[in-house]
Amino acid sequence: MPSPSEHLRRDDRLIAGFAALAIAIHILEAAFPSPLPGVKPGLANVVTVVVLLRYGWYTAAWVAGLRVLAGSLLVGTFLGPTFIMSLSGAVAAMAVLWLAQALAGRWLGALGYSVCAALAHMATQLLVAWQLFIPHPALLTLAPFLLTAALVFGIVSGVIAAIVLAKLDSGPDTARA
Amino acid sequence: MTLVRPADALVVALAALLVGAAWAAFWTGGGPADAVQVIAPGDESRRAALSEDDTLEVRGHLGDSRIEIRDGRVRFVDSPCVGRYCVHSGWLSRSGQVAACLPNGVVIEVTGGDREFDAVTF
Repeated sequence: MPSPSEHLRRDDRLIAGFAALAIAIHILEAAFPSPLPGVKPGLANVVTVVVLLRYGWYTAAWVAGLRVLAGSLLVGTFLGPTFIMSLSGAVAAMAVLWLAQALAGRWLGALGYSVCAALAHMATQLLVAWQLFIPHPALLTLAPFLLTAALVFGIVSGVIAAIVLAKLDSGPDTARA
Repeated sequence: MTLVRPADALVVALAALLVGAAWAAFWTGGGPADAVQVIAPGDESRRAALSEDDTLEVRGHLGDSRIEIRDGRVRFVDSPCVGRYCVHSGWLSRSGQVAACLPNGVVIEVTGGDREFDAVTF
């Protein structure tokens, strides 16, 4: 049993490493043009799900939170509308992941968690955009398009996360970032 | 560890159902169109029900536009304009759809139910 401080330091290293990875993905995605405004593949979701399944919700929440914070500072959207959208999406995704883990636990794999997180992320962002920025009912007609995109990308990143997890499990025990 | 667990399939199925419901909720289109509003220069504006087949002659700047109502749809049959864009608009059947013969100043707009479009541009 490691002492509390050692334990903390190991966790901190994990969080920092995975957050750095997530931020890198986040920024790479921000650099790509999107065919539809508001639609991003959300591949940083892969990192969140992998961390969730290997190290638990607490670590994953730290990674997601740091990604939103540092990602927005680096892209230059901190405290702007994009940041509010990003933060609310991440909070919703983490809340749903917590709920999913509490309800389904190990019955769910990476794919299920990823789809849950993607849909919660998108639905919340849409509602926040509607409430705060574009309070027009026409915005909601975008919902089917955006939710379909979220479902597709959620499945894609879920499969990626499942493959990453399988490789991590079959590889050497060390999965340090 | 298997790649996909049973509950994953369940979650994906539920999610697909949710997305399908979103499509159904937001994209069922406008409600049933039940009337057509005909706007003409002067004070010729009138409404006509789409339920009764009819042919209207509407006087405009250049002459008479002929508008046909059949099977709950409406269209310009002829109009004394050059391009006949109004005629080429074809049948209108959904609430909010508009066809216009601008040279003649005659506009038809399908009304009733929930409007599906706020505006239509070409």
